[in-house]
This record gives sequence, C-alpha cells and structure tokens, in this order.
Amino acid sequence: MSTATIEMQRKSMPRSPGRVRLARHRGLIVAIVTFLICLGAVRALSGGTLGYYELSNLATGGATLAIAALGQTVVVLSGGFDLSAAAVISLVNVTLAGNMGDSTSSMLLWSVIGIGIGAAAGAFNGVFIALLRLQPIVVTLATMFILQGITLLVMDKPGGQVPAEFSQLFVGEALPGILPMPVVLLGLLLLAWLLLKNMMIGKAIYAVGSDRDAARAAGIDVRRSEFFVYVLAGGLYGLAGIFITAQTGSGDPLVGNPLLLQMFAAIVVGGTLLGGGRGGLVGTVFGAYVLMLVVNILLVLNVPAFYSSIVEGVILILAVLGASLTRSSVLATTLRNISRRASARRQGLLPAQLKLKEHRLRLPVPFVTVKQPTFWARHSETLQTAAPAFVCFALVLLATQFVLGSSMFSWPYYNSLIVLGSFLAILALGQGTVILTGGLDLSVPWTIGLCGILCAGLLKGSDVAMVYVIPITLAIGATVGLLNGIGIVALGMSPIVVTLAMNGILQGLALLYSGGTPAGFSSPSLRWFMTGNLFGATPVVFMMIAFVAGAVILLGRTAFGRRVYAIGNGVRAAELSGVPVRSTTVRVYVLSGLCSALVGCLLSGFSGQASLGMGDEFILPSIAVVVVGGALITGGRGSYIGMVGGVLLLTALQTLLAGTSLPYATRAIVYGVVVLCAVVTLREKNT
Amino acid sequence: MSKGKYGPALLGAALAAAGALAATGATAQEKHKIFLSMSFIGNDWQAEAANMLKAMAAHPSMANKVDLQVQVSGPNAQRQIQQINAMVQAGAKAIVVFPISPTALNAAVKNACDKGVHVFAYDAEITEPCAHNIAIDQEEAGRVTAEWLAKRLNGKGNIVAITGVPGTSVDTLRTKAAKEVFAKFPDIKIVNEAVGQWSQAVARTELSKILATRNWDQIDGLWMQVGCYTANTMQLEAGRSPEQLKPCAGEGSNGGRVQMLPANTEVEGANGTYKPIGAPRISYASPPYSGALALKLAVAKLEGKEVPKKVVLPLPVVTNETVKLCQEGTWEEMKAGCNAFKPSIVTNPGWFASIFSAETPEVGLSAALVGQPEQ
Repeated sequence: MSTATIEMQRKSMPRSPGRVRLARHRGLIVAIVTFLICLGAVRALSGGTLGYYELSNLATGGATLAIAALGQTVVVLSGGFDLSAAAVISLVNVTLAGNMGDSTSSMLLWSVIGIGIGAAAGAFNGVFIALLRLQPIVVTLATMFILQGITLLVMDKPGGQVPAEFSQLFVGEALPGILPMPVVLLGLLLLAWLLLKNMMIGKAIYAVGSDRDAARAAGIDVRRSEFFVYVLAGGLYGLAGIFITAQTGSGDPLVGNPLLLQMFAAIVVGGTLLGGGRGGLVGTVFGAYVLMLVVNILLVLNVPAFYSSIVEGVILILAVLGASLTRSSVLATTLRNISRRASARRQGLLPAQLKLKEHRLRLPVPFVTVKQPTFWARHSETLQTAAPAFVCFALVLLATQFVLGSSMFSWPYYNSLIVLGSFLAILALGQGTVILTGGLDLSVPWTIGLCGILCAGLLKGSDVAMVYVIPITLAIGATVGLLNGIGIVALGMSPIVVTLAMNGILQGLALLYSGGTPAGFSSPSLRWFMTGNLFGATPVVFMMIAFVAGAVILLGRTAFGRRVYAIGNGVRAAELSGVPVRSTTVRVYVLSGLCSALVGCLLSGFSGQASLGMGDEFILPSIAVVVVGGALITGGRGSYIGMVGGVLLLTALQTLLAGTSLPYATRAIVYGVVVLCAVVTLREKNT
Repeated sequence: MSKGKYGPALLGAALAAAGALAATGATAQEKHKIFLSMSFIGNDWQAEAANMLKAMAAHPSMANKVDLQVQVSGPNAQRQIQQINAMVQAGAKAIVVFPISPTALNAAVKNACDKGVHVFAYDAEITEPCAHNIAIDQEEAGRVTAEWLAKRLNGKGNIVAITGVPGTSVDTLRTKAAKEVFAKFPDIKIVNEAVGQWSQAVARTELSKILATRNWDQIDGLWMQVGCYTANTMQLEAGRSPEQLKPCAGEGSNGGRVQMLPANTEVEGANGTYKPIGAPRISYASPPYSGALALKLAVAKLEGKEVPKKVVLPLPVVTNETVKLCQEGTWEEMKAGCNAFKPSIVTNPGWFASIFSAETPEVGLSAALVGQPEQ
C-alpha cells in the first residue's frame, strides 16, 4: 500500500529462525505490551482499585468492538475492506431487541437468526465482491446504506428489551470470581481461528491477501476463499450484534455506527497491515481493548474535554509507531539517511558540493515517426471507466423528470446541482489523487471543519479581510496535508492511521480555537459567491468549470499527474523508473489538504457561518464519488472526469430523493441500491 | 467527610464511596465528586450546555461543594458505558450524563445505581428506572409547533418538513407528534421531508436540494427541527422580501429569535440576515440549561434532599408576540421576559437562546457563553 511494504520486503533477508519468528509476531507483541502498559497505567493512576470486578467490566465493555474487529480483520487479511460491519451490528441489535421472547428456545432461535443476518449480509457482499469482482469498499458502502435503511424500518427509535437471562449468558460469569464470560467467548473465537488458520482455507486467506494472482496461480480458488471471508466476517458482526444486545439489554438503531472507524483503529493497533496478508486476529483483540482503555486513561488523567481527541490521536500514532520501531523500519531508515546526509554535508561530500562535471550518456535518437494513436486508443480506458457514472447520471435525470416534472430542461436545476456538487467535486480531486496513489485521506472532515471555522472566524464579515484570510486558511490546509504526507513517508505509517489520527487532532484544535462555539461570519462577497447571481448562474459555477478543467489537466497532462498514476500502479516500479515517490506522495496529501481547506471556506460562505462538525458528512461521499467514478481504490486507475460523473450522479440522486416524500429509511435503501447498480456496470469483463 | 449529612438510605452508598475515596487519596474532603459524561462536543448545543454546567459548578453556592470532572465519550455508546463504569470506579458520588442512547446505557447505569452512585441524565432520557431524567416533553414540542403552523396556515397548504437525526427517540417522537397534528388537517400536505441532522448547515443543503426541483411559491410553510434561520436567509437571498417570508416552526437559535423581532428594532451588531425582519415564527428548544439543573439536583440529592426521578422541563416557546430583546442577558432580565440576544454579544446565530430557567438563578448569558456564573 505504501513505501513501508517495500522497505519491509527489502530488509527481510534471511536471519536466524528465532528472530524471524519474533519479527513476524512483532505487531502482536507490541499490541500486547501496549495493552499491558495501558492497564498498568490505569491501575497505577487510579490508586490500585483494579480488582476482578473492574476487569470483568472492562472485558464486557470492549468485547463488542473486539468481536466485530475480528470479523473485519479476516476481511483485511484477505486484502478487502468492509464498511458494512457497523450497520450489521445495529440491524442485529434492533432485530433481537424487538423480537426475542423470554423462553430459552426463543433466545436460541433469535441468536441463530442474529448470526444468520450477519452471514446473509456477508454473503450479499461476497456475491458482488468475490463473484462479480467489484471493489469491496464501494460494495460494502452500498450494503451499509441498505442495512441502515432496513434497520430504521425494523425499529425507528431506541427501544425493545431482551430477557435478563440472555444478558447473563454473555456478560455474566463463566467461573464466578475468576473468569468473566466475554473472556471465554473471545478465547473460543480465537481458538477457532487458530484451527481455521492452519487449515487450507486459513492459508488461502493469507495467500489471497498477499497476492491474488500468485494465489490463483498456486491453485487456490480465490473466489471461494473471498466469498467465505465475507460470510465469516458477517457472522462475526452478527455475533457482535448479539453481544451488544446482551450487554445493553435493549435495541438502538444507531448503536453500531460509531464502531466502524474504531474497528480499523483496533486492527492497526493490533499489528495487522491494512492491505492484506500480514497480521492476525489475536493482536486485534488486544488492539480493541487498548482503544477502550484509552477512555479510562483519559478519565484517570482528567484530560480536559477539548484535548481528548488530540490525546487519542497521539496514542494511536504512538501505538502504531511502536510496532514498527526496528532497525529496518522506515522511521529508522529516514533518521539514518538524515544523519548520513548531514555528515556528508559536513565533509563536503554531497554530490551538489563536489562540482562534478556533467556526464550524460548521449544515445543517438533514431528518427522514427511514431504514428499518433487515435483518440479512441488514447482515451478508451478513461472513457470506459468514466462512462457508467455518466450513463447512470442520465438515468437519474430521466427519473427526476418523470417523478418531479422539472429538471432536464430547467437551468435552475442544473445550477443547484453544480453548486451542491461543487464541494464534493473539489474534495474528489484531493481524495481522488490520494486514492490514485493507493492511499486514503480520512482527515478530510476536520480539515474542512477547522478551515471553515478559521475562515469565518477570521473574516468576521469583512470583505477586505478575504485578501489574507483565504490564503491563510489554504496554507493551514496545505500544512495539514504536509504533516500527513511526512507522517506517511518519513514515519512509514499506513495512510489510514496517520490521517485518522490527524482528524482527531484537528478536531481538538477546532474545539480549542472556537471554545466550542464557532464565532464570526463569512463575508458578503464570499456569501454572494456561493449563493448570489451572475449572468443567471451562481458565481461558483464559473469557478467550478475552471476547476474541473484545471484538475483534468493536472492529472492527465502534467508530470505530477503521471507520477501519481505511476505510484498507484506500483511503488517499487515507480521508484526504479526515477519517480520521486516520496516528494510526490507528500504533494498528493498537500493537494488533498488544500482541497479540504477550500471546501471549508466555500461551505462557510454557503451557510453564512461555520459550525463544528460541518465536514463530517463529506468523508464517505468523498470516497464514494471517486470509486463510483471508475477509480480503483488500490490506486493507479481512474480519471477526474469520471469522478465528476460520480459527483453528478450522487448529487442528482440525492436531489431526486429529497424531492420525493419517501421516508428516510427507504431513501437510504434506494441510495445504496443505485450505488451498487452503478458499480455493477463498471465491472471488468475480462476477469 | 461527614457521613451525618446523608440520609440512612444513602449510608451504604456513602460507605462504598468512602472506600473508593480513601483509596484515591481523598484530595477533596468536603466536596462531592461529580463526573460529567458528555457524548459529543462537536456542536453548539453541547458546548453551551457544558458551559452552563461548568458555570453552575463554579457558582459561589456550589464551588465548595462540588468537585466536577468533565469527560467526553464521543458519539459511541460503547465508550460511554465504559466511561460510566470508569467513573464509578474512580469514586463518583454522582454522574451527570448526556446519554448517547436512551437504552444502551441501562446496564451501566443500573450498575452505578447499585453502587450508590446517583445518575442524572439531561436533555435526552435514560429508560433505566433508577436514573433521574431532566428533559422537555418531546412530543409536546412536536405537537405545539405543528399546531401553531397549522393555525397560521388556516389549515391549508404545502409544508416542507426538515427532521433531526433519524433513529433517535427525540426525532421520532417530535416528528410523529407533528405528523399526527397535520393529519387532522386534510388540506395540509407535507410535500417534502428531509433529514436535517439538527444542523443549520445540513438544513441548508437539504433545502437547496428540495428547491432544485421546486420554488418558494409552491411552499406555504416550514416545519423544521433546526433550520428556520437558514430557511429565512435563503428566501431573502432568493430575492424575496421579509413580508413574503413563509411561516416557520422551528428551533430556538438566537439568529432565528433576532429575525423574529419587528423589522424596525434597533440591535447592535446586526449582520447580513442576522437582523430583525419580523419573520413569522414559533421558536422552541430543548433548553441547554438542563445540564446545569441536573448538576444542581444531583448536589441536592447528595445533601439528602428529596429529588424527583423525572423532571419535565417547561417547553420554552417564543412567538412573534412574545419575542423580546435582552439588553445585558442577566438572569434577572431574562426573568422579566426577554428571550433574544444582541448579535454584538452573541456573534453566532446558531447559538441556542433558551437559556432561562426559574430554577437556575446561578446561570445567565455569560454562563452559556463563557462558563461564568452570575454574580
């Protein structure tokens, strides 16, 4: 996924068997050590009141996250990604809380149904991912929307109840005073995994995650393994849903949602590599408990509320850095290189200091007239990947015309579409470029939030101030991106970890700056820019035309653009071809930071003022439009034009749904189904 | 610490807590250790409620009784459960909580109660019977606002409804009650319904989507949980005059309250559409003082007084007839009936203006703004 992988592969030369084994389990060992340190810290700081009762509480508190993260880990090991995990938990929770009776048979029946729901959702994902070869991230995103809709149809507000005996079964005592039930449950799951891991299918999962093609060449049925992975993971989410029902004794349609990002954090802290093939389930369990212990640590240290997300971000980074601290880690290599370079500079041995004569090989350039390839030959891939989004967009336009009566021939409709889509179109350039290099930027929400708050807070309604406020805001966005990039390149951490931690840190900064209530206004001209009228259109429409043209040129016609694609197609190959991988990667994140900052400013102009959390609703759509627009989440393929098609499709779809009087639950389901249909048409026929 | 202050029923609790306190070193001997478990701090309402709660704890009548520690769990019920457990473990006497879920915390709250810790939930409810709840009647909120709008429209017209966060009790109860009212008027039709997530920014996006295929002339009234301020702003941007504004039943943000003032009212700091325009409105709110009141009740309970299990706060309702500008925003002034604040003092129009309660003379405007209690 990043240079880290390459570095690790390069350095893993033959060593003594003991050290190899140690190195292989480094992630797990660090996770366990981190867990013990956290537990020790809580114990020491809270004055030693950490008896069986507290530990039992802790075991129960972290179990839902741990079980769900186990499922997600299996998916990640196979090289996939499952965004529907949290939605399965909510669905199982409300189904059980709404239906379970007092009898033992009812409890048993609904437990089986709970796991069945999870497995069915997994099978649904599996059909599209394993059999139809669609991208996991967008399939599971669509499944997530569909499941959220179904959940609200099952139960529209918190309620329901399960019998106390059912709760006792999961959160009670296995051996009173010695062993809490959740520990036994997790132990059994891990035991089952260890058995599975040593069977054919377990090895197949690792093999597929490490290298699909190699796995297939080795005779592994890749499709069957992948399908199995999603069903198994779904069953585990179902079990997590059962556990949370037992733990809380009732149902809440929103209970699972916040667990999604935490699952990935637990996996990473547990030493599993996002991208597949490396890691294991045992580490994940400890990772999950580390995340829950953070709550206790924040409490015993009495960390002020505004700082808590910052502290969490720092803990996440430290835990992951700890796992990679070896002589061969990227950080160590970076430090060594810096010190070598410094010593070379002192001795005056740097190439730049040597005043070397230029020696270049001059090869005779043959005068071969290369026939200009046809337009179709040059652009067929772009057009093929971008077309489905536009075709679906046209269909949604037709549907809008049919259902609401006024869209296709009305300029105001297109005008609103462009204004509403402008935020996503700008984000798509940043997020899209990051995705093209094979990364992901999760710091988008609070970069938008912080920059929007800064923009409105510094402008205070003054037009004159725009002259310096907008450059300052953009500079801050760029700095955020720079720090992300440095974290990824110099520390060798996974983009997801760095940007997730950065997001938490930015949230804390936004709260500290605003004191909890953002003040200030955007200026009249910024408001006019987003809501006014110029030659019959909103002024931002003209900017978007220029922006889209600029973005297409940036990705398609510049050296920077070509390097981005090169990195996405293979870091090692790009490096060997002379692509400055590190500086390009940093620039990509700077670009994403800049785009988020611009969106923050424009949003504050659109709304008139800024609010905390105003970026939260953009993270998933920013990824969705990129993928719906034909980009590969693993990098290397995609075009900005396609992403714009994705923006138009999703914005038009939301506009259509907002125009109907369908209930929210149904809308969520429709939204998910349409996204799924869009990607089904993207299917590559040749595999 | 003197156990004499406690009623006999609390003795066991006090003993249990005493053990915990002794273990933690008992730094605050006379003070009650009270924890605040907030869910999410990323919005105006939460920040304001927390400010008022902290101001209450800092008030001279409270400062020597309360040792308040504030913790944030984020929008995650699992973590709030963990947090409540940790608070009990850390020797809390009482826990004031903004519950993420009315049901998911039940087991943790029950456990806290069993250990003699008093749990006070503000704004949203906890269904576990041992918890104290301080909140408004959400169904009343939906009903009263819908009735106002129906009356204002003479029982006829097309309505756009912007709801809150789907799947929460508050949103479901409010929306259901409002729809029941509208159902009584066959000529009132909800032509569009969108999810506003209780955010002015989201309300704007959703309204823009609706207006992409509809124009203001096709809409007669708006029922919104949050977003009337934004809706009025959008109508003015679309070139409509203040007299043409559609009646809007919605939230109690200060921006909306200022817009309700008669157009000729002089206010300092008016800016853009954050100014008096005589907008036809009913403004209601879940009042942010509920957290401060919860803390006050928790202290009363710890002092052995009788405290009701369920406190239903009076629904703060302001219409064009009752809206009145505050000069300073002291508690005394609000008691005399003012309910909107000058933009020069409250620069954020999304800030919630329903901060007055007869029960909490300790906190006024500066409490809500910066966490300073009344003098």
